[in-house]
Amino acid sequence: MNLGTLAVKNISRNRLRTALTVFGVAVAILSFVLLRTVLDAWNTGAEHAAQDRLATWHKVTFVMPLPKRYFEDVRQVQGVKKATYLNWFGAKHPTRDREFFANMAVDPATFFDVYDDMVVPPAQLAAWKQDRQGAIIGSSLAKQFGWKVGDEVTLTGTIYPGDWKFRISGVYSAARRSVDQAQFLFHWDYMNESLPPGRKDQIGWIASTIEDASRGGSVGTAIDKAFDEREIQTQTMSERALNSQFIGAASAILTALDVVSIVILVIMMLILGNTIAMGVRERTREYGVLLALGFRPGHIVSFVIGESITVGLLGGVVGLGLSYPIVQQSMGRWLEENMGSWFPYFRIPATVAAGAVVIAVLLGLFAALIPAWRASKLDAVEALRRLG
Amino acid sequence: MSEAPLIALKGVNKTFSRGKERLEVLNELDLDIPKGSFEALMGPSGSGKTTLLNLIAGLDRPTKGSVEVGGKDIAKLGDSELSRWRSQNIGFIFQHFNLIPVLTALENVELPLLLTNLPSAERKKRATTALRVVGLEDRMGHRPNQLSGGQEQRVGIARAIVHDPTILVADEPTGELDRNSADEILGLLDKLNKDFDKTILMVTHDPAAAERASIIRKLDKGQLV
Repeated sequence: MNLGTLAVKNISRNRLRTALTVFGVAVAILSFVLLRTVLDAWNTGAEHAAQDRLATWHKVTFVMPLPKRYFEDVRQVQGVKKATYLNWFGAKHPTRDREFFANMAVDPATFFDVYDDMVVPPAQLAAWKQDRQGAIIGSSLAKQFGWKVGDEVTLTGTIYPGDWKFRISGVYSAARRSVDQAQFLFHWDYMNESLPPGRKDQIGWIASTIEDASRGGSVGTAIDKAFDEREIQTQTMSERALNSQFIGAASAILTALDVVSIVILVIMMLILGNTIAMGVRERTREYGVLLALGFRPGHIVSFVIGESITVGLLGGVVGLGLSYPIVQQSMGRWLEENMGSWFPYFRIPATVAAGAVVIAVLLGLFAALIPAWRASKLDAVEALRRLG
Repeated sequence: MSEAPLIALKGVNKTFSRGKERLEVLNELDLDIPKGSFEALMGPSGSGKTTLLNLIAGLDRPTKGSVEVGGKDIAKLGDSELSRWRSQNIGFIFQHFNLIPVLTALENVELPLLLTNLPSAERKKRATTALRVVGLEDRMGHRPNQLSGGQEQRVGIARAIVHDPTILVADEPTGELDRNSADEILGLLDKLNKDFDKTILMVTHDPAAAERASIIRKLDKGQLV
């Protein structure tokens, strides 16, 4: 036995109370891990976005199209390695129209050269390029709707009205966390040829890769400069900056999540503090005995804090243990498969897992401060007098 | 020339304040207790017995006067020094046993040794020896709720002697026990006094218990009578 043993053994006095407190801390830690993982997953798009990829769109708004001929001009800008163009199509599943997924008309010849973090088996890619109605879909989307290669599918157009028929040519997987694995990509020509003359040959934006990732700013400026004197001016931004801008728009929600995760921890700290304070009150006479035996107030403080930290740590470990099956395995898989556009990579980051355990320990420490301070002020004679 | 007393109280006053009221519990008390004696302190409730015991044990300080133990005025020691002094020189035996319920008998007895630098194996060995002295070697793995009242008090006594203190202070050690158990405990205290040369100071209301002591002192209104 040592001094630590006594602190740890104290938690077995009232097992139901200890179990409930540990469970409470575990729930708080589980909530913390969930919210922090949501925040991390949300930021993943920006953090892991390609640094060497630029997007060029209409200077006024990305909703307005660019002439297709701009594509060739962008390719000529010095520093641009490869380029492609695409249109937001905005169609929906005919029966499951509430389930959002990105669907885009892309240039089959160049798209996967620029988006090389989307990996398609070569045979499927070759087949897609040959099939005007072919579509490449993300692995999450395939799972979501049960689509497989060879299936004929119909999407209902919104921006481009009508029923659009496609054949699934292949399924891509992601080589980077930021890649949305729930996209639907098909031939731009297939869309363009069906449009009335006034809407033909227009593209949503141009994506390009650059020779030197560190020169994104200057290459972007050069691209925009190339169109300064043209009928439509452009705005070019790195993919990372674009994603950050998108996240910035949701900053109020993210801040709210941040605040909620902290509020949960503070509430749990107060509950844990109350439990520890109850234990200290109940054990006043024992502390009196220990003081009489020669233990010093510092020892009593360490017993109280040791007990509280042990409860906090237990709750942290249990909470983290529950987080993996609940947050990562169940919820994470579901979100990746069904909301891949928002959460392409929903896993508990190691920093969040380690942080959760550290926070659980700190929770125990701070919860014990007032009870420990009170216990340290106990007078042995007064405490022993409470014996009756 | 006679031997100097182990415990010497000179002109001790102890006053407690309750709001504006001041309560004088001990009044100009002088007391010498020789080494190796077994003394019983008797007196009505509120006469100051426990307060006197607390002063001698270094749990409290006098308002006035000196409390010398082994030639050292313990009233002048700082809080930490006094705690250390208690842990080396005093063994406490309580009326309500005051064992820690989550610890076994052996662990309860080992408690005072946690304040020493003894290695774990040595602490365990000494705690086992103390339990053997009180006849509970076969109960060392039991928790307090698995022991009878008499056995609990014997564990309490083992805890009081495990660090080999000079003085044992016992506050109503038989107050919670039946006659047979009380007799066993008093026999044990007698043995500790005679065989192990412990100086014992026992507060009691029980005349039969007091009879086992070599000296009976009576306290009334803060003075020895």
